[in-house]
Amino acid sequence: MTNILLSVKAAKKQYKGGINALGGVNIEIHKNEIIAILGSSGAGKSTLLKSILGLVKLDTGNIFFKNNEPIIKNFSILRSSISTIYQNFNLVSRSSILINILLGKVAKVSNWRILFNIWPKEDQLKAISLLKEVGLKDINYNKRVENLSGGQQQRIGIARALIGSPEIILADEPVSSLDPETAKEILRLLKDTAKKNRISILCSLHQVEFAKSFADRVIGMSDGQIIFDKLSKKLLKSDLKKLYK
Amino acid sequence: MKINNKNLDPPFSLKTIFLIFLFIVFLIFSGQRVGIPDIVERLYESSLDLIGVKNSSRIGEGLSRISKEMWPPVIESRKDINLIIDFNLSNLPLFSYVKMYKDKSFEVNPESLILEEIVEEVQFLVEPLGYLKLVIIKIIESIEIAFWASLISIILSIPLAYYSAKNYAPNSIIYLFARSIVSGLRAIPELISVLFMVLAFGFGPAAGIMALGLHSAGFLGKFFAEDIENADKGPQDALIALGASKWRVLKLSVLPQVMPQYVAYMLYIVDRNLRMATVIGLVGGGGIGQELKGRFDLFEYGHVTTIIIAIFIVVFVFDQISAKLRSKLIGD
Repeated sequence: MTNILLSVKAAKKQYKGGINALGGVNIEIHKNEIIAILGSSGAGKSTLLKSILGLVKLDTGNIFFKNNEPIIKNFSILRSSISTIYQNFNLVSRSSILINILLGKVAKVSNWRILFNIWPKEDQLKAISLLKEVGLKDINYNKRVENLSGGQQQRIGIARALIGSPEIILADEPVSSLDPETAKEILRLLKDTAKKNRISILCSLHQVEFAKSFADRVIGMSDGQIIFDKLSKKLLKSDLKKLYK
Repeated sequence: MKINNKNLDPPFSLKTIFLIFLFIVFLIFSGQRVGIPDIVERLYESSLDLIGVKNSSRIGEGLSRISKEMWPPVIESRKDINLIIDFNLSNLPLFSYVKMYKDKSFEVNPESLILEEIVEEVQFLVEPLGYLKLVIIKIIESIEIAFWASLISIILSIPLAYYSAKNYAPNSIIYLFARSIVSGLRAIPELISVLFMVLAFGFGPAAGIMALGLHSAGFLGKFFAEDIENADKGPQDALIALGASKWRVLKLSVLPQVMPQYVAYMLYIVDRNLRMATVIGLVGGGGIGQELKGRFDLFEYGHVTTIIIAIFIVVFVFDQISAKLRSKLIGD
C-alpha cells in the first residue's frame, strides 16, 4: 500500500535483567490515521514509542519511514516529520508559553538564534496562532508555563507538537495525569487538529473508553507482543479480556 | 506476647556509650594540645575583670595595648614637606594646610652607644580627608579585584561545568579530566595560591584577581555541574526527540531550570570574593589588604580602624544590594 507512513518491522528489545519489552513487534501506520495502543504498565508501549524516536535502541528489527531506507541508521529523516506529546508534558517550566511552543522548531533554527533566544518572526506568529487552535486564545503567552493547570500545559504541549508541521505525532499517555473531563477535552482537541491538518497519531493510552472514541484503530499489547490490531468499531469485549487478564 | 521493656531497643547501646567515651577522651587530649584550657581560663579571668572582681586580665592587657590607639579613626594625611618633591607653599592642594609637628625619633648616639630620643620640629602638609581618599581608592581597587575575579570564574566555570557534568561530557576521559581540574582549583586556598600568583604576575591586583578567580571557578564549576546533572530529564528528552543537539538541549531546557540556582551561586561568589579580596592583599594581592597590612606593621592603629570600618561598610552595602538583586532576578 502506498499510503503507509511509518512501519515497524520485527522490533525486538530486551532490557538488562531479561525483561522482554518488545518481542518482535510489527506495526504499520497509515497517513491520516489515529492509532491507540492499549496495554497495562510494562506491556512495551513506551518502549515502542521511544524506539521510533530513537531514544531506545532496538536489538533487532527495523523502522521504515515512507518506504525509505530504515531510519535506524539515520533518525534525522524522521525527526523533521515527527512530534511528541508526553504524559508529564515535558515543558520547560520556567520558560514562557511562547518559548515552549517555539521549542518544537528547535532543530530548524540557526545556532546564533538559539544562543540569543531570537526566534524567527514567522515562527512566533505561528506559535501565537496555534494558541488559538489549542483553545488558549486569550492567554498571556509571556507567562511562565509553571503557573498553568495540567490541562493548559498539555494544550501547550500539543501546540509545541504542531508547530513543526509534523506528519506524525507520537503521544505517550498524553492524558494520564489529567482529570477525566480535561482528558476528554484534550483527546478531542488532538483528534480534531490531527484530522484537520492530516496528521497521523500513534498514542498509548490506559483507558479503553477513551481509546475507542479517540482512535480509528486500536492495538493491544501485552508482554511486548501485539495481542490484537483492529478498527476501533470492531473491538470486542473478548479482545480486552485478553489484554487485562 | 507480653510486652515489657525487654521488647524495646535500649536507647543507648554499649557501642554508643563506648563511642561517646572515645570522643570525650579525644576532646581532652586534643583540647590540651591546642590550648582550650587557656582560652577558658583567660575568658573567665576577663569576665571577672569586667564585673570588677579582678583588676586586670591578660585579654584586657593584650587588647588594651592597641585599643587606645585604635580610636579615633584617622582620616587626615600628613606628609613631611621635605620629602615632597617640588613643594610649593603658594600652590597647596584644596583644603590642605601646613602645620608644625614635633617629630620623635630614636637614634643610637655613636659615642655613648645609648639610644637617645631626638625631637625635631618638622613642617607637615596636612590634607584633612587625605587618608580617607586613599582608603576609598584602595577599597575600590578591592571591589574591582572581586569583580574581575568573579567574571573570570564565571567564564571559566561554564566549560568546566559542561565537561564535568556526567550526562553532557563527550566521554569519560574528558569528564574525569574536567572533574579533576575542578577539584584541584577548589583544593588550593586563595591565600596559598596568591603566593604563586605573585611570582607569576607580580605584586598587586593581577595576582589577587587570578588567585580568587581560579579558586572560585572551581567552586562554580562543581555546583553548576551538579545542577546540570540533576536537572529535570523530561524537557531534555522532549528536545532530544525533536533532534536538538546537546548544547541546544542545555541552552533551552537545562539553563532555564537551573538559572535561579546559578544566580544565587554567582552572587555568593561575588560576595565571597569581595571579602577575600580584602584578605589576599595581606600577602601581596593588592587592594585594601595591602594597605591594612602596611599600617598594622607600622603600629598605626588609627589608620587600621578607618580601613576596617570601610571594609565593613562595603560588605554591608553589598549584602543589601545582592539580596535585592537575588529577589529581582530569581523572583516570580
